[in-house]
Amino acid sequence: MILIDKLCYQSKLRYVNATEKFVYAVLSLVFCIVSRSAAAAVLVFLANGILTVGKGKIPLSHYIKLLLVPAAFLLLGTAAMLIDLSRAPMDAFAFRIGEWYLTGSTASLTRVCRLWITALSAVTCLYFLSLNTTMTDILEVLRKMRLPTLLIELMMLIYRFIFLLLETASAIMTAQESRLGNRDYRTKVRSFGAMASALFVQSMRRSDALYDALESRCYDGTIRVLSQERPAKKKEIVGIALFESLLLLITIWSIIE
Amino acid sequence: MTKKEKILLKASIALAAVFAVAPASNAMHIMEGYLPAGYCVAWGVICLPFLIAGFVSLKNKVRENRRNMTLIAMAGAFIFVISSLKIPSVTGSCSHMTGTGLGAILLGPAAVSILGIIVLLFQAVLLAHGGLTTLGANTFSMAVAGPFVSFGLYHLCRKLKVNRRVSVFLAAFLGDLFTYCVTSIQLALAYPSEAGGVGASALKFLGVFAPTQLPLAVIEGILTVVIVIGLETYAGPELKSIGFLRKKEAK
Repeated sequence: MILIDKLCYQSKLRYVNATEKFVYAVLSLVFCIVSRSAAAAVLVFLANGILTVGKGKIPLSHYIKLLLVPAAFLLLGTAAMLIDLSRAPMDAFAFRIGEWYLTGSTASLTRVCRLWITALSAVTCLYFLSLNTTMTDILEVLRKMRLPTLLIELMMLIYRFIFLLLETASAIMTAQESRLGNRDYRTKVRSFGAMASALFVQSMRRSDALYDALESRCYDGTIRVLSQERPAKKKEIVGIALFESLLLLITIWSIIE
Repeated sequence: MTKKEKILLKASIALAAVFAVAPASNAMHIMEGYLPAGYCVAWGVICLPFLIAGFVSLKNKVRENRRNMTLIAMAGAFIFVISSLKIPSVTGSCSHMTGTGLGAILLGPAAVSILGIIVLLFQAVLLAHGGLTTLGANTFSMAVAGPFVSFGLYHLCRKLKVNRRVSVFLAAFLGDLFTYCVTSIQLALAYPSEAGGVGASALKFLGVFAPTQLPLAVIEGILTVVIVIGLETYAGPELKSIGFLRKKEAK
């Protein structure tokens, strides 16, 4: 139902040690953003592409489509940075509108290009994590990082409930669709509201029923699940360490510069 | 056509194509990697007190009655699902509710801050709306600033004896608008304009996102009212249990 969630269960890298994947993704992300260097960004972009599509066997078409998800934000956000309204024309381009100029400078043009590269490669880091690691594994990593148990518990329950509610919502929407519930805009809005309130009632009832079920099985505030240990391979650790130290070098170099 | 016109035409076609292909995530999440590192950390730190307050209130609620645990989790999942579903929009583009107004009105701002960061994390990982490094900034605009305005306005309107539906609309609509303004300011602080500094930059970001955000805020307000009406009709006991309706109000 959620594309990324579905894909991550078929990834060939799914059973690789989750902590290792988490550390790799987060470190690359941090180096990418701190250094803001094009070299680091291109390196990370390529590495994540090869890992996710090549090793993880995530279909390329899906991967490209997912990369386009933030494109609208990126376009609008960088358009605002690029275009200035000023009385004096700047060096990159200028269109005259009466007394004023719709203009931009070469400096901001390079800044925008750099931002595009950095942001896109940062997005690939996020995708590497989410397309190759299941949510339950990520939560397990967060548990190891000593996040409060209450939070982890809450996240686990929410993750589980999301799919229950999505299923209910899609059933309600199918029913509405088949009864001309989306005939025109007014009915559409009314149907959406009706669906949401029915969903809310359903979710409250379900949570009650779930609590009863948990309590009858001696629930004391923590749900204990067995986590499978998948030790990291030495080869992978060395590879990640080498890659990250390369990024570290680039970062230090770009800061000095 | 002159050369310049041709370039303009091509650029506008490319822009339109991207909008047609990309499902525009209109909820105004700042994308992964967009903010410089310093700003990511700063916004995260600013959110901390709200998150801690939310965590403490959550802990107390669970200690009070353990049943609240599943209830709060359901509420979180509800916000996520509502914000991940396509809403009926006029332009035909694909847009989403933020759900923050509804959450704040139903659950109060403290609970929403902690639920908000979890929902935003899930949105980043599962839907690629927002990101890990921009989690702090997004939490501040969507799970702290927006809900606080919604909650405050709703209760102010109720005090002033404004009709409940009107107050719900105002709370959701203005909460959404406020989120959008805060996000624009966040972007402007990170990327001030060369001619005119932060102020001019904020205006530019506001302007660029206005065509998608203004109609969205109105739709969000209307939908929230429709949902609340539905809830009042069907979910009296449930609303009472989360403290939304006082006993005498729920018939």
